[in-house]
Amino acid sequence: MRAISTALAGIGQYGMWVRDFCKAVVVHGPPKGQTLAEAFRIGIKSLPILIVIAAFVGTNLALQGYNAFKPLGGQRLVGMFVSLAGVRELAPIIAAAMIAAKAGTEMASQIGVMKIREQVDALDVMAVNPLAYLVAPRMIGILLMLPALTIIAIFVMLAAAYTVSVYQLGLAGHEFIRFATESIEPIDFLYGAIKAMFFGLIICTISCYYGFNCGKGPEGVGQATNRAVVTSSVVCIVLNYFVSELLYGGSL
Amino acid sequence: MIELRNVTKSFGENTILRDISLKIPPGQTTAIIGPSGTGKSVTLKHIVGLLRPDSGQVLCFGTDMATAREAELYKVRKRFGMLFQDGALFDSMSVGDNVSFPLVHHAPEMTAKQRREKVEEKLELVGLPGIFDRPTSSLSGGQRKRVGLARAIVTEPEVILFDEPNSGLDPITSDAIDALISEMKEALGITFIVISHDIVGTINVADHIAMLYGGDLVAFKPTQEFVRLDHPIVRKFLQRNLVLPEGPDDVARLPSLE
Amino acid sequence: MLNTLATIGRFGKFSGGIARRMTQRPVFYREVIAQLWTTTIRCVLPVIAVTFPFGMVMALQGLEIFRIFGAERMLSSLISIATLRELSPVLASVLVAAQGGSSCAASLGAMRIKEELDATEVMAIDSLKYHVVPRVIAMTIACPLLNIAGSIAGVAGGYFTAVYLKGESGGIFLAELWAFMGPMDVYGGLIKTTLFGLTIGLISCYHGFRASGGAAGVGKAVNDTVVHGVVAFITLNYFLTSALFGSVAP
Repeated sequence: MRAISTALAGIGQYGMWVRDFCKAVVVHGPPKGQTLAEAFRIGIKSLPILIVIAAFVGTNLALQGYNAFKPLGGQRLVGMFVSLAGVRELAPIIAAAMIAAKAGTEMASQIGVMKIREQVDALDVMAVNPLAYLVAPRMIGILLMLPALTIIAIFVMLAAAYTVSVYQLGLAGHEFIRFATESIEPIDFLYGAIKAMFFGLIICTISCYYGFNCGKGPEGVGQATNRAVVTSSVVCIVLNYFVSELLYGGSL
Repeated sequence: MIELRNVTKSFGENTILRDISLKIPPGQTTAIIGPSGTGKSVTLKHIVGLLRPDSGQVLCFGTDMATAREAELYKVRKRFGMLFQDGALFDSMSVGDNVSFPLVHHAPEMTAKQRREKVEEKLELVGLPGIFDRPTSSLSGGQRKRVGLARAIVTEPEVILFDEPNSGLDPITSDAIDALISEMKEALGITFIVISHDIVGTINVADHIAMLYGGDLVAFKPTQEFVRLDHPIVRKFLQRNLVLPEGPDDVARLPSLE
Repeated sequence: MLNTLATIGRFGKFSGGIARRMTQRPVFYREVIAQLWTTTIRCVLPVIAVTFPFGMVMALQGLEIFRIFGAERMLSSLISIATLRELSPVLASVLVAAQGGSSCAASLGAMRIKEELDATEVMAIDSLKYHVVPRVIAMTIACPLLNIAGSIAGVAGGYFTAVYLKGESGGIFLAELWAFMGPMDVYGGLIKTTLFGLTIGLISCYHGFRASGGAAGVGKAVNDTVVHGVVAFITLNYFLTSALFGSVAP
């Protein structure tokens, strides 16, 4: 029972933090000049890992799809399976998961360290709003980068699945491509980008929230980083269902 | 222009400040002393609005920091400079960028060259000329405090707050910091509020001394009167010189007022 | 590039040292049990919170497709196979990396920064054996356990969506659940997650044990653990899946 009330209190606190953040951004705006640099940095740093993860998700989609459809004689449909699952669900999640893992932990730990060494207070005392100064550039950076990262994830995933399908599983390349492209529409890319940005908002606010509320000492920083990554991942995946329902439910 | 009126603050069950009323004399150096854990840093944070009291008023230049909204707080804070315990410098920036930070945000009319000149001037004042481009992470404890002080004075504030400037320093560096504060006092002639548990340094630097103990303001007198005060707690404090109790438990072990 | 090789080399040495110590006496059983309990408790809720919705989404998207072909009854076998073979192991592993791995890195890192590991050594106790080995063993065991929980939750999520939200028949769902499943589907997931539990245990302890540079070093250890752990897993997953579920076409 107590766990539930603690969780609710935490959600409430988080809500208030988000409200303070929105107010700060509206009143102060982000510091100029830093935003694009921030966006670029986040994107470039995340790219290698994103590619690796997307590639191997693609390979496994192909492998498992093949295995699943083979008994039904539908192994040639692998292309369709990969593109549907990949574009609609997995690519946004991959991009989001990777942002949570890299950028999320970075934000939580950087802000956490600043908090325990009174640098956040120092900003406050120098009449610079810490939320606007520290969080806003990162948030904008993530929002700008995520759609791009999602699209890249999609293509890498498809490419890897294609490679596995053709060279490891012996399927026909042109069939794969045909089924893959037939199953998705341009709007799926848009939905994917929207999902990813939504996840980005969640990851950024949750990670920075934990950073700002960091406990004392090195353990505090470790804990904040830990919680940031887990909470943001779980929340994203839980909300994913509702977002998918909204975007795809009963649409076909 | 800085005054606490009947300020009370508790954290959970601990009442840290109990009905404290204190008027900081302008243009002079006031020290707030007392054992660790008796609310000295808390008092400082109230003055600058990082904490809000449970009851009472905190008046700074006419604004009540206890009830002010963020915009008003920020307006008042521009007239303060504060030196945090570990300097609270931003590790991702160089020394120069750290010290110019308040200028960048509050004096946008200055050019980069003008800012640099001002920063170099202040760095010179705190005894660290020529380190504008040094990375912050390479500084020693004493240097961090000096740079922190340079950042605190770069906007030429009317009040400077020092949160335990001697903490974490060896005796020689500690003396050097005391000397620096005295020099600044002479050079700037503005209001200083110093939180300290170092008696000797405090007596040398402060014009007025306020002593907090057990949540109450035990004494607040000009330095010369303070050291001659016939008050059991004050006597104990001064006699034991640098040896001070460390936490609330130790405080309880000191003889009570009655 | 050279740096990466050096890191891998050091990591290999570290792992070798751990492996050696795992079979040496004394074995700190109490520590192992304690760590196992903590890790499992901490991770079980996140794992379920993640696999259940994924099961739901699979049902959602699957039904959209299957209804076109009138093949709704195939939904449950799709969900069960996908969950057991791939989804549950992946999600459980990623979450163990994120939660178990990072808390392991964080606690060891903090201990390193606060010199507690040094203190253990000075008291003539092997800090690796006392602090690290139990954590590694705990994660090796916890990961497959959590995979089981995740598999159940994933199928449950699919059931929930299909039957309660989309009106499919519960009976058919359950009946068709095992239609295409073989023993390898169950074992495969367990093998994957055991191997991965071991991997993330080693990675997180490696980073935590070697943390340096104050509180920021702890944050970095956690960051590195999560990133390396996920990359290691995803690469391992490909090779394991290929090996376990066959890849060569007739």
